[in-house]
Amino acid sequence: MRGIFFFCLFSIIYSQSGLEIAKLLNERSMPISMSSKISMTLTNSKNKTRKSVMISKSTNRNKYQLIWVLEPKSDRGMSFLKKEHSDQNHEMRIWLPAFNKIRRINANRMSDSFMGSDLSYEDMTSRSLSENNYFRLEDEIIEGASYYVLKVIPKAEFRNSYGMHKIWVSKEHLYIVKENSFDKKNKLKKMKTFFYTKIENYFVVSKIFVNDIQKNHTTNLNIENIKVDSDIDSDLFQEKSLKRIPSY
Amino acid sequence: MMAMLPENMNSKLSWDSVQSEFGSTESIFVAFGKKNENIFNQKAFSHLWELTNALQKIDEVEKVTSISSIPKIESADGFLEIIPLQPKSELSESQIDDIVKYLNDNSSIKKRSVSRNDNYFNVLVQPTDNIPHNILRDAVVQVGDSLLSKNYEIHYGGTAYITGSVPGMIKKDISMLLFIGLALMSIVLLFNIRNLFAVGMIFSIIIQSLLVMSGMMGWITHFTGSENFYFTIINSSMPIILLTIANSDGVHFVTKFFKEMRKTGDAHQSVSEAMDTLLIPIFLTSITTIAAFLALYFAPIKQLMGYGICLSIGILYAFILSLTFLPAALSLKKWELKSLAISRASFTENLMKAFGQVVVSKPKNILLIGFVTMLIGIAGLNKLVVDVNIANFFKEDTEFRNSIDFIDEQMTGTMDIRVRVEGNLKDPLALYEVEKIQTLLEKNSSVTTSFSIADALKQMHRILMDDDPEFDVIPEEKQKVSNLLLMYSMSGDYDDLSSMVDYNYNTGLITALSSVMSTDQIISFVKEIEYFVSKLKEVKNVSVTGMAVVIRDLIFLVIESSVLSISFSMLIICIITSLFFRSLTWGFLSIVPLAAAVLINFGFMGISGIYLSHVTALLSSVIIGVGVDFSIHYIYQYKRLSKEASSDKISKNVINEVGYPIILDSVSNMSFGALLFSSFIPVQYVGGLMVFAMFSTSFGTLTLLASIVHLLKKNKLIGSKIS
Repeated sequence: MRGIFFFCLFSIIYSQSGLEIAKLLNERSMPISMSSKISMTLTNSKNKTRKSVMISKSTNRNKYQLIWVLEPKSDRGMSFLKKEHSDQNHEMRIWLPAFNKIRRINANRMSDSFMGSDLSYEDMTSRSLSENNYFRLEDEIIEGASYYVLKVIPKAEFRNSYGMHKIWVSKEHLYIVKENSFDKKNKLKKMKTFFYTKIENYFVVSKIFVNDIQKNHTTNLNIENIKVDSDIDSDLFQEKSLKRIPSY
Repeated sequence: MMAMLPENMNSKLSWDSVQSEFGSTESIFVAFGKKNENIFNQKAFSHLWELTNALQKIDEVEKVTSISSIPKIESADGFLEIIPLQPKSELSESQIDDIVKYLNDNSSIKKRSVSRNDNYFNVLVQPTDNIPHNILRDAVVQVGDSLLSKNYEIHYGGTAYITGSVPGMIKKDISMLLFIGLALMSIVLLFNIRNLFAVGMIFSIIIQSLLVMSGMMGWITHFTGSENFYFTIINSSMPIILLTIANSDGVHFVTKFFKEMRKTGDAHQSVSEAMDTLLIPIFLTSITTIAAFLALYFAPIKQLMGYGICLSIGILYAFILSLTFLPAALSLKKWELKSLAISRASFTENLMKAFGQVVVSKPKNILLIGFVTMLIGIAGLNKLVVDVNIANFFKEDTEFRNSIDFIDEQMTGTMDIRVRVEGNLKDPLALYEVEKIQTLLEKNSSVTTSFSIADALKQMHRILMDDDPEFDVIPEEKQKVSNLLLMYSMSGDYDDLSSMVDYNYNTGLITALSSVMSTDQIISFVKEIEYFVSKLKEVKNVSVTGMAVVIRDLIFLVIESSVLSISFSMLIICIITSLFFRSLTWGFLSIVPLAAAVLINFGFMGISGIYLSHVTALLSSVIIGVGVDFSIHYIYQYKRLSKEASSDKISKNVINEVGYPIILDSVSNMSFGALLFSSFIPVQYVGGLMVFAMFSTSFGTLTLLASIVHLLKKNKLIGSKIS
């Protein structure tokens, strides 16, 4: 029985288009809510580093997310709220404790850097199937593992700061292991590598390494203390929550 | 200029740290516009956009800063938004008005981007690391000229432009003038020697020596990779020095040869006699000159080490050729005994016979004149001004000087002062001190603007607080500073602040731009800054650098190098001649004309307002290199001839023997007075001083030395035994 199932799956997958693989990616099993502690190390071209520690809580398959900065001490308390909407512009808010002010981040500025890292808000937002064209390239085998290779081209009518992405999707687990993003002049801009850990039945990202080739700057995100589906109330994702660092 | 500073010098160390932490501070300014026409128009913005993009594509360019590339910080619903100040090439009138308003609200940015009367745009081009400035300069000028020359006046400036342009310009200028000098030299030699072959042989020695010296410089650089052997502005005097020394050897030999030919009519015998008479003095002059130049090894300007070694190689080769190639060539030639060169003494030769009579008859008067001249020279030393600022190398109203003056008068100026500070630059207390340093810098009337992380934070603070001018101050809490910086990093590029603060906010750079200052102004200003920063408490390890400080240090180095090299050279020459003549008195006497000529030359520079620079300072080397030759030839012949003549006649005979070659050598070297027609002020000075140096060394030997020796001999205070 299992043999027949895998034969059918193989047949279906083998003939799949880029868009179909992207759909499979979007539909893969993901936790509804998640909390974690994130350590972020930024390294510039002169090999100088900045380190920060944050806690993150998200729900609705990461469409709502809150991040609070714990370290460095001087930035402690700054926080960030993201709400992705399918029918309207995404919402982004930042809390500046020293100024006692909440500021809205313009949704038009999706290419801006998140906390000075090499990840833009755009990189942190789920990629919509309808806003991109997906093309399947030749599959690759890297270190014994097989990968689908897709070319993702953002549609011209939607706002995007990239010209193209090339992604490597694990055939075994259906998650992205590598993504190369190109600017609008088709020059390689960022190389992102993702590492996963299995928690309960989910493969969740445990480490992200981003190298901005053009700026010679890197970001290393280590995601620890990951808890999945831990009943995070969606009411948490409001402005008022920005002002209070939750226990972790 | 930086290559001249010793590695362990504070300003050099600070300079290196600043370059490595904040990128190159040496840049090129490109200013374009039209006199009396406002630059804020659609066409000019479009050209600025095109220029900025074209410059950014140059491989040697790290960063281009202009209105087209700088970010604009604005408030969007209270959040800091960092967007391009000029969003696109073609702007609407309202977009131009917005840019003008932003510039008027941010005067420090405006000063760096637009001329004082809004007629010119300014573009700042920063090179990538370790790029030769001449390559950068050529690439930038090519782009600037091709895009703008049809529609605008263009002015280039900045330290990288000056240092990138000057060596090539000086090389071209000196090459032409050297050629003229050589032509004049050949005319003088031909007029006196009256034989084309002999003059050709002298020139052959000169050219071969020059080739060997330059070639060795190349090989040594190739094998050692040492910057000390690069041919820089400081080395521009090397060909002239070697020329004069190689010329001296050849002239002495050829004139002696013709003198003997007049007596014997036999070429082999004449060559043999010339060899007997000149082998030792030419060996001695070469060895002392080589020793004097090798003494430059100890000079604090490290490039002088390469200078001294390579010049010594050239001198050694000229010596070898003078005593091998030249005698061989002269003896192989079939000489026409009735030719003018052999049959009759030249006008100068006859003149020197009469001159000898005067010296011998009135030695005390000549000595008195010599001492008075020296006293005048010593008095002039007090007035000597040291100036190493390259901007002052150019005459007023020349195209290059006009460009520098334009950048000084209309833009932010060509000179910079950089203050590197260490401390927690997220701490308002440290930032207040940064602000205080800027206030001090801007008090100086030559300083046009200054900028630091404190300015950027004040601007962020104001904009976050709804553009209220009241908040154009450094926030009073650490966390506020931190919040602003983090917010900036979310919207802006981390490279935007990289020229003002390091990645961890632990090291900052304050930059002050200024117009050209005089040497005195630089020295006192740097002293004032250094005193001020020494009292600060929150920022530590404050170091001051920049072109102004480098110039200040170079001034002291030039003085130190001049004094050290002159003292060492004199000492070495004195020791060698004392050992050779086995008499300390003769050793001292050999340096009398040199010492007098050096004093008179530097005194003359003080009196006539010729400033001492790293270029003119090297003239002391010419004086020593050539002057020692004259005195050694004189002393050697004095001792040699004292065996053959009575004491009354020795001085006259010696002047008859060496006076003519000394004067011929000296006058032919004066041909380098052609350098007076150079476009570069220091090179003009070198030309003028060359004439003066030749005059002072040759006449110093034939008057001062001759009369002292004559009087000492007359009073039986010296012997004349030859070793």
